[in-house]
Amino acid sequence: MGKKIQINKEFVDIMPQDYLDLVETGTFETPNRGWKDFGTATELIAEHSLCAGCPESIAFRHIMASIPNPEDTVMVGSTGCTSLVFPMIAVHNIHSLFGNQNAIATGLKRALAVRFPDRVKDVIVLAGDGATVDIGLDMTLQSWFRKERFTTICFDNELYANTGGQESGLMQKGFLAKMAPVGKKFEKVRLPEIARESGCDYVAIMTASKPSLVEKVIKQAVLIAREVGPTYIQIYTPCILEIGKQSMEGLQEMRTSEAPGERFKFREFISPEAQSFLDGLAEKKKAEKLATSGATS
Amino acid sequence: MYNVAEVNAEECVAQKGCRLCIMYCPEANCIQMDTTKMVATIVESRCKGCELCVVVCDAAKHNAIKMVAR
Repeated sequence: MGKKIQINKEFVDIMPQDYLDLVETGTFETPNRGWKDFGTATELIAEHSLCAGCPESIAFRHIMASIPNPEDTVMVGSTGCTSLVFPMIAVHNIHSLFGNQNAIATGLKRALAVRFPDRVKDVIVLAGDGATVDIGLDMTLQSWFRKERFTTICFDNELYANTGGQESGLMQKGFLAKMAPVGKKFEKVRLPEIARESGCDYVAIMTASKPSLVEKVIKQAVLIAREVGPTYIQIYTPCILEIGKQSMEGLQEMRTSEAPGERFKFREFISPEAQSFLDGLAEKKKAEKLATSGATS
Repeated sequence: MYNVAEVNAEECVAQKGCRLCIMYCPEANCIQMDTTKMVATIVESRCKGCELCVVVCDAAKHNAIKMVAR
């Protein structure tokens, strides 16, 4: 489809069908990609090994469909359930050590700016709450203090799900898990507020239950990170096994946790600089729309 | 025996613009849109049987998807 993503002609006959589909009908170099491509275009994520009905995989699908420039994006992952999905995505990705994902992304962003000075390259960090808040909090905060221009996405499942349910910093107070039988004694770390105070230009906290909202937030975050400064998104992706739910109950769990007054009610913080940037984008879009409608009528 | 989802083509309202099951399926490329018949179709080899599509379809009162044993 696009020019940047193509198969070497010598190898076309030996490539697997899935790969051919991806190059032919994948949404690379498509300006207005989004969840609306689901079902007709090949997705940039293939058969992953997450549990049946895992809300994290819903969030992953929506994120992969929403990133504005997949062909020029590098994702940095960390240890956890997300590292089971990273080998299955059609975007360049790096698996970092547990916790240093934001440090790696910093170096990567700077190296890409030197190597490709005339191209826009996005870096997106995607890690679980253990890597972002507990083990990698140092690297996460330092990258925000330095105003590094990339997006940090935290998949918040409120415990260490991959290793059997240990207590994490983002676990809610009093919650009992399989490997934390006493119950958590402290409040959930308020990382969105910390992110805001640490210099992030765009912060959002949400669940993955509304594809259009995920799409909007991811696009805003990546574009702001490109031009203004660091951005942070915290998405609730409950681990249905660890909270004792059935495979089909993950969606309802996300909906209940985003009700008004609950801990994952959608909130976003936009700095004045980011807001003026977004306003500029909206005006540009409006002008383009007017120009195209004027040309057709 | 393995449970997979099955779409009843007569009940499916995809031609009215419904994409609920496609939106909320956790598996990638699992529920596809048949653009000629305008119905959702399940790729059975990718279906893990989580029943989320049944939940969203029933919640919208379409009742077009049910689980079948394979």
